[in-house]
Amino acid sequence: MLQLIFKDLKLFFRDKRNLMLSFALPIALISLFALAFGGAGKGSGNTKITLLYSDLDQTYASKQAFLIFDSLPNIHLKTMKLTAAQQAVEKGNESALLIVHQGFADSLNNGAQLPLEIQYDEAKKIEVGLLQQALIPSLFTLPFVIGNPKQSMAKRFFKMTPNADSLIQNNIQNQSNKLFDAISEGVKIENEKNGNTLNATNFLSSDIKITKLIKAKKDNQLGLIQAVAGTAIMMLLFSVVGIGAGLLEEKQEGTLKRLLYTPLNPIKILFAKMITTNLISLMQLFIMFIFAWLVFGLDIIAHFPALLISILATSFACSSFGVFLASIAQTRQQVQGLSTLIILVMSALGGSMMPIFFMPELMQKLAVISVNYWSIQSFYDVFWRDFHITDQAYLKKIFILILIGTALNFIAFRLFKRNILRIS
Amino acid sequence: MIEVENLYKKYGKREALKGISFKIMKAEIYGLLGPNGAGKTTAISIMSTILQPDSGRVIIDGYDLSTNANSIKQTIGVVPQEIALYNELSANDNLMFWGGLYGVPEKDLHQRCNELLKLFGLYERKDDILNSYSGGMKRRINIAAAILHNPKVLFMDEPTVGVDIQSRNLIFEVVKHLNQQGMTIVYTTHYMEEAERLCDRIGIVDDGKIIIEGTLEQLKNSSLVKDVIKLSFLSHDSSIKEKLFEFWKDIQFSEREIAIYSDDVKADLPLIVSKCIDLGIEITNIEIHKANLESIFLTLTGKQLRDK
Repeated sequence: MLQLIFKDLKLFFRDKRNLMLSFALPIALISLFALAFGGAGKGSGNTKITLLYSDLDQTYASKQAFLIFDSLPNIHLKTMKLTAAQQAVEKGNESALLIVHQGFADSLNNGAQLPLEIQYDEAKKIEVGLLQQALIPSLFTLPFVIGNPKQSMAKRFFKMTPNADSLIQNNIQNQSNKLFDAISEGVKIENEKNGNTLNATNFLSSDIKITKLIKAKKDNQLGLIQAVAGTAIMMLLFSVVGIGAGLLEEKQEGTLKRLLYTPLNPIKILFAKMITTNLISLMQLFIMFIFAWLVFGLDIIAHFPALLISILATSFACSSFGVFLASIAQTRQQVQGLSTLIILVMSALGGSMMPIFFMPELMQKLAVISVNYWSIQSFYDVFWRDFHITDQAYLKKIFILILIGTALNFIAFRLFKRNILRIS
Repeated sequence: MIEVENLYKKYGKREALKGISFKIMKAEIYGLLGPNGAGKTTAISIMSTILQPDSGRVIIDGYDLSTNANSIKQTIGVVPQEIALYNELSANDNLMFWGGLYGVPEKDLHQRCNELLKLFGLYERKDDILNSYSGGMKRRINIAAAILHNPKVLFMDEPTVGVDIQSRNLIFEVVKHLNQQGMTIVYTTHYMEEAERLCDRIGIVDDGKIIIEGTLEQLKNSSLVKDVIKLSFLSHDSSIKEKLFEFWKDIQFSEREIAIYSDDVKADLPLIVSKCIDLGIEITNIEIHKANLESIFLTLTGKQLRDK
């Protein structure tokens, strides 16, 4: 009995792939999710959301405002010219843009509504919501920190009495100052009781103007694209790996060897498998998008040319991944183990499980290594950003998908000769 | 038809073939016999073009393996040791698929499939998926898939492993039939009775070399292995040994049994029995052990052909 146990342990520890599957990959997966959900890295700072900043006012006050926003712990401010910043948001490279319009300084001093505007991509409205939350306290304090809050408040009263003479204005100023102090004191006492941090200057603040730079055509469209693209690609990866692993099954069952006895060129066996995998991938993606069209009303007809290109590129990249995985493993069982972990990692990283803007910046940077990321982004370009098939930002994603597919096919081709065709 | 010269093949440090050479004539059934790991499958793999030798030469039907592997592939058929078929497909679909890979035109292929399905007694079940077939039936389709393109040479690597008697006999009949049609057959097995029954000539392989080659008779003569007549007696009498030894010198004795090695059992057996009667020796049992490939192999190598 003990001999059997020792024998099995010995065999297990001699198999490096087993060790990788059992230990290294689960550790990698745990680390990935820990990073994704912000639990990793003891003592590390909070994740910063990037906010583009276009200062059209170019005054001392607007520069002071920049410093205030930039000092916020959750925001990373990136100065950019208005047009370039709007393009970055439109292309989906950035989420939102804060514009400080001309007249900011004057409005601050006159107690007028501050000409601040956030323009954003609605695809990232959750991220923009977080941005707003981070900005609100600073917006409230702007008149207090940069301008003169009492003056600002008094000027609001003056607006209500446009014909008042200087005596009345002085009176209003004095009463306004007393009122401000009384409110400040009252707010302070009340907030000390409740633990709030707001102060009297808050009521002076004006709402920030929020503009959708890219708007949803239908309320459910954004979630639908995420759900269809994200799920379709993840499930596609699982199915193509299964098809690719058919090569190993053929090796195990002897049919591959029998194929080699025939006049068929061995490389054609691999190509045939690649083509089959591609065809099945295409079918799977088409069916999923047709389903989304029929059941959820995803508008595939209006976007058909770009959708077709995205589906072709995604199928190519995903099926290449399936064949690649089959080529690096020795048995079907190994493929199954490897693929489950790799696909889950890629899907988590690439945005199949949740939109990538939920993830920390590092994870968003890492996302580019996954097929899922480029595929999902290309579908966003098609349905959300309404990109034409000649748009460079869209073509870049298609090119990367084709590049990934080509590279994986090349490696699979080399490994196929070494691993799969090794008959003896 | 097949010429193999000085074939060497190494796997890492292990030498699988150590300069193997043999010739096989047209329409001959040649048996490659040897224990597991002797080098039979390596030799077949090289001859069937899926494995490169380290050195040596193979010529099949005038084509040199090193320069004309594709022509050789069209000339040969291979029945692999494992049942290498698609279990989810029907017998007919399997045959159509494998025949198609050899470029047999579809119309001819349909006809050929039907012919072979009838030959192997499976025509009535041609549309059933292989998963519903017995092991023996699958073995028959396994052979049929190798001969769809009418190869001149057929390599059969242990084609009857795990086969029931009925299927085995049918396979033997088909092999004989194909051979009568002019097909050259290279048959590897470690069932010596199969080799004895089917093969015109036999090459015994051990440790990467052919240790002896020829017809069964030639092997017997070369190896000096004789048939054995075993006699058992009712009572033990030490004088029996001396009495018989006067007539036959090649004798081994044990307590109640004598083994007489004979070159001609038919001639010797009546003589032995009559001599025993004359001498008043009461025989209780007679066994005749014909010299066979197992005993030849054992004599030559000191090893059993099959793992016991």
